Amino acid sequence: MSTKDAMIEFRDVHKYYGDYHALRGITATIRPGEFFSLLGPSGCGKTTLLRTIAGFEGISSGAVLVDGRDMSGVPAHKRPTNMVFQSYAIFPHLSVEENVGFGLRKDPRSSADKARAVGEALEMVGLKGYCKRASHALSGGQRQRVALARALILKPKVLLLDEPLSALDKKMREQMQMELIKLQRQVGITFILVTHDQEEALVMSDRIAVMFEGEIAQLADPETLYRRPNSRKVPNFIGTMNFLPAKILQESARAVEVDVAGFGRVNVDAQQVMACASGESATVGFRPETLTVLFDPSAKSERESMATIEEVIYFGDMTYYDVRIDGTGTPVRISMSNVFGRQVLDIGARVRVGWSLGALVLFR
Amino acid sequence: MKVHALRSYTIAYLVFLYAPIILLPLFAFNDSKVIAFPLSGFTTTWFITMWKDQSLWTALKNSLVISISVAVFSTTFGLFASRAATRFEFPAKGAALGLIMLPLVLPEMIVAMSMLVVLLAIGVPLSIFTIILGHVLLCTPFSTAILTSAFQSLDQSLEEAAMDLGETPLSTVWLIVLPLVMPGIISSVLICFTISLDEFIMSYFLGGNEPVLSTYIFGQFRFPARVPAIMALGTILVCLSITLLAIAEYFRRRGIAKSGGKDTGGFL
Repeated sequence: MSTKDAMIEFRDVHKYYGDYHALRGITATIRPGEFFSLLGPSGCGKTTLLRTIAGFEGISSGAVLVDGRDMSGVPAHKRPTNMVFQSYAIFPHLSVEENVGFGLRKDPRSSADKARAVGEALEMVGLKGYCKRASHALSGGQRQRVALARALILKPKVLLLDEPLSALDKKMREQMQMELIKLQRQVGITFILVTHDQEEALVMSDRIAVMFEGEIAQLADPETLYRRPNSRKVPNFIGTMNFLPAKILQESARAVEVDVAGFGRVNVDAQQVMACASGESATVGFRPETLTVLFDPSAKSERESMATIEEVIYFGDMTYYDVRIDGTGTPVRISMSNVFGRQVLDIGARVRVGWSLGALVLFR
Repeated sequence: MKVHALRSYTIAYLVFLYAPIILLPLFAFNDSKVIAFPLSGFTTTWFITMWKDQSLWTALKNSLVISISVAVFSTTFGLFASRAATRFEFPAKGAALGLIMLPLVLPEMIVAMSMLVVLLAIGVPLSIFTIILGHVLLCTPFSTAILTSAFQSLDQSLEEAAMDLGETPLSTVWLIVLPLVMPGIISSVLICFTISLDEFIMSYFLGGNEPVLSTYIFGQFRFPARVPAIMALGTILVCLSITLLAIAEYFRRRGIAKSGGKDTGGFL
C-alpha cells in the first residue's frame, strides 16, 4: 500500500515493559478520513497502541508513521495528532474558553481571531455560549465536548480518542456516539477510537481492529467482522456465536464438506472457511439470529432440524431460546424478535428450527 | 450517661492542653513582675520593654533569616522529592523516601547531637548556616508530605494533554503543574516557616553564639524580671502562628477544591 493511502502506518511494532510483551508485532494501516476503532478486552494493548501514535509511549522496535512520516524521536508536542483523554483532562484552573484555546498559545493569529476560532469550536460541539464558564462546573458530557473542541481546534491530521464515552451513562453515551459520527463526517479528520465496548465499535467505525494480548486478531469492516470472524476468539468478543463440532469429510478448492452434529452433511463455501490455531478441532459457528424457530406449521426454510427448548430468556423486543437440536450435545442460542401477536414458547416445547447454509462459518 | 462522661473528659482534656496558652496574654497584660494570681492590673509596659530590647531584635532578625531560608529550601527539596515519588518508578524508591521522612520519627536530640559532632569534626563553624542545615533536615519531611498529597491529586493526563496541545515538558510544568500545586507550595512554605521559627533543639545545639528567638526566650527565663516581657513576646508569636497555619490550611483546601479532589484531611 502506498503511503498516500495511509494516514497511520504501524510497521511491526513491538513494545516491552520489562519482561512484559505488551505489543507483539502490530502491522496495520489506517486510511485518511477513516473512523477506525481499536477494540479489545482490557489489557490487550489497545490504549498502549494509541499512545504510541500520540507519542506518550515509546516503542521497543518497529515504526509508527503518521501521514508518511516516521514518528520515532518526534516528541508528543510536535506530532500532528491530538487526543481526547479518558478522564477528559480538562485543565481545572482554566475557564472553558482558556481550555479550548490552550493549543493556540503559539498561534501567530490575533487574539480576536483566536477568540473567534474558540467560539466556532465550541459551537461545533454544541457548547455555544459556554466560553466564560469555569471548567469544574461542567457535567461529564460537557467536559467531553470541551475536550473534543480543544483537540479539534488545532485541526489535527488524526484525532485519538481513548475510551471517551466510558464514563458517561448509557443514554448520554448513545447520544455522543451519534454526535461523534456526525462530527467526524463534518470535519473529515481521521478518528481513532479505543474502546472495549463491541457495540460502540460496530456502531461507530468504518473499520475495526480487534486486539487480543498485544496482537491484532482481525482487522475488517464491522459487517465482515460480524459475519466472517477469522477465529473463534473474535465472535466470542463481538456478539454471541454458537459453535457445533464438525467433521471434515471432503474438501475442494470451492467448498469443504463437513458432517455437523444435528445439521447433517453440509457444504461450506470456501469463503466461509477460516483457518484456526493448530490443535483446535473443526467447528462450525453461526449467529443466534441466523436460526429461526418455525412457528407456522406451513413455514418453509432452506434447511430444517428438530429441537427441544431448554431455556427461554425474554427481553421485551426479543426472546432468546436456548434449544438442543436433536443429535447434538450442547444447546445453541436462537434470538427471535417478538413480532406482535406471536406467543413466547415454553421450556420443553418441541420446535422446528430453520437455518441456511450461508450463515455457517467453518473454523478448522 | 456514657456520652456525658466522654464529653466532660474531652473538655477537661482540651482545657489541660490549651489553658496554659491562654495564661500567656493574661500575664502579658498584668501589671506585676511576678507571674502569679491574683492579677494586679492592666498594663502594656511589657510590650514596650520587649520592643526596646536590642538582643531580642538580633534574635528575631536571625530567626527570620533562618526561617525564610528553611521555608524556601525545604519546599524546593520537597517539590523534587514529591514529584519523583508520585510520577516515577526508580530503584530503591521506597528506601529513598523513607530516608527523607525519617527525621519525623527520629529523636531530634539525637539528630542534633550527631550533626553537631560531624560539623565540628569536619571543621564547619557553628552559625546561622548550620542551624539552617538542621532545620531543612527537619522540615523537608513536612514539605514532602504536603506536596505529595498535592501531586497525587493532579491527574497525569493533564500534563499529557498540555504536551499533546503543543507545550514542551518545561512549559507544561510552568502552565499546568505549578499553578495546580501552587496552593500546596504556599502551604508548605508557611508550615516550614512556622516549624523553623519555634524550633529549639537544633537551634540550641547548632547555633554556637548566634541567638535565635527560641534560644533567646529560653535564656531570658533565668531572669525573673524579664519573664513578663517574654509573655508579651509569646502572645505575639501565638497569634502569628495561628494566622500562618490558618492561611496554610486555607490554601491546602483551595488546592484540593481546585483540582476537584477529595479532602483527605490535613494538618488542621
